[in-house]
Amino acid sequence: MRDRLEDLSLAGPGILLLALAFILPIVEMLRLSFVGTDGSVTVEHFVRFLSDPYYLGVVWRTIYLSILITAICAAVGFPLAYVMARVSPQLRLWLIVLVILPLMTSVVVRTFGWMVLLGRGGLIPVVLWKLGLAGRNFTLMHTEAAIVIGMVQVLLPFTTLSILGVIMKIDRRLEEAARTMGASFLATMCNVVLPLAMPGILAGSLLAFTLSVSSFITPSLLGGVRLPVVAGSIYESATKTLEWNFAAAQSVILLVGVLIVLMPYIRLSERRHG
Amino acid sequence: MVKGVPEWLKVLSWIFVALTLTFVLGPLVVVAGVSVSESQFIAFPPTGFSLRWFNAIFESNAYVQALLTSLRLAFAVTVTATVIGAGAAIALHRRRLPGTAALAGLFLSPLILPSIIFAIGLLMLWSASVGAVSFPALWIGHTVIAIPYVVRTTLAVLADSDPFLEEAARTMGAGRWQRIIYVVLPQCAPGLAAGAFFAFNISFDEAVIALFLRTPDLVTLPIQIYNQLEFSPDPTVAAVSTLMMGLTVLLIAVIDRLLGIQRFVGN
Repeated sequence: MRDRLEDLSLAGPGILLLALAFILPIVEMLRLSFVGTDGSVTVEHFVRFLSDPYYLGVVWRTIYLSILITAICAAVGFPLAYVMARVSPQLRLWLIVLVILPLMTSVVVRTFGWMVLLGRGGLIPVVLWKLGLAGRNFTLMHTEAAIVIGMVQVLLPFTTLSILGVIMKIDRRLEEAARTMGASFLATMCNVVLPLAMPGILAGSLLAFTLSVSSFITPSLLGGVRLPVVAGSIYESATKTLEWNFAAAQSVILLVGVLIVLMPYIRLSERRHG
Repeated sequence: MVKGVPEWLKVLSWIFVALTLTFVLGPLVVVAGVSVSESQFIAFPPTGFSLRWFNAIFESNAYVQALLTSLRLAFAVTVTATVIGAGAAIALHRRRLPGTAALAGLFLSPLILPSIIFAIGLLMLWSASVGAVSFPALWIGHTVIAIPYVVRTTLAVLADSDPFLEEAARTMGAGRWQRIIYVVLPQCAPGLAAGAFFAFNISFDEAVIALFLRTPDLVTLPIQIYNQLEFSPDPTVAAVSTLMMGLTVLLIAVIDRLLGIQRFVGN
């Protein structure tokens, strides 16, 4: 009993802080999303969002861009993680550091780098122009391509590290056995490594997807006002037009969407730990 | 032994890794390049070499104020997140509290909840119950999102620690708090230190919560950069960004020394 009391006093400040400053804000957001302009209980904000073609377009753009971003991250992250798992520990450490570096850099800094590279007169449009693939004043800024490029850079480290964790645990003798039995390298990859790495690929992809649908600094700076995503729309409503209840309702919709996607992720990680 | 990977595939995979790393690190190199350019305008590749934009930061009142705000905030967050996270991690590691699994989930949940949802909830709750947002609101918000990192690094270190040390201290007559201060905390030290550096990095770089909770008097460095990017970026943005990246590199090196960066793979 006294042991429990001791542990409770150790964890107590944290539990109290998270209850008051983490759970309660979410509850408050839920409550406000059901409060109408006249103070009554209503679902008008949800109806407004879900029945307006403009907002449905925003939702659709958010979803298909996120699917595209996630797919690219998984397709690039898997081979990258495989190579990282099979090099010497010394080299692996360096590769991990290089992959983590952008992950720990502020999102505004990374996005600024892309603004320089993709904007008018930036390196990429100029190279495309010199190659005869684009016009002189070509810019990639304020395009969906810019959003995808910027977001893949942000999320690739997440997917790669989560796949790497799983590949590192694969017994290498399984690969050797497949090769001794006559399977080619590519056949071994497809029939042995890929299926065994699937939990990591799935977990990494789900994480990337939820981070992608809820991010707005990179999409709003690279995509501009003409290509709003859901999180950007929440920011607009909360800080520019000051419709807090409407912003809360949009956040609830985003939260529900994220939770639906996260369920399998939580299941997956529970199975891995349990 | 079968012949390993075909030679052409090895070459191909190294080209692939090089291209991917270029893609991931390219924007950071570009920012650093712009910061040392002599040109008045943002230009890459840079023309000439000059450190005048770094000088310009320290002559700009807005940047200096933002830098001071960010440093003050990051130090405050580091202290609170480390103290609160340490207690939580020790209690979670002992598994004596009922519902330890659920508690662990609670302490790690700020990691998976999108920060925009947390930020807007905190803004609404603070405005409704406290009033205008101020430094403490941002301090609390960043502490909440930094705690999971401290909990995680400390739990990782505790998992490898010797459970009999505390038992030995108990048989030798050490009291509860003596055991925590002289036995458990020293065992946690590398994890706590790594967690503290993570907390500092998160608070110093975080932009979403800081954007929602900003006031004219409460602008952190990332938000100052964001404001510049929305309107008129000039090479001083690159110089500030380069300083921030330098700090990140330093923190990664320290965390690796303390704990080994490989530990964080796959989490």
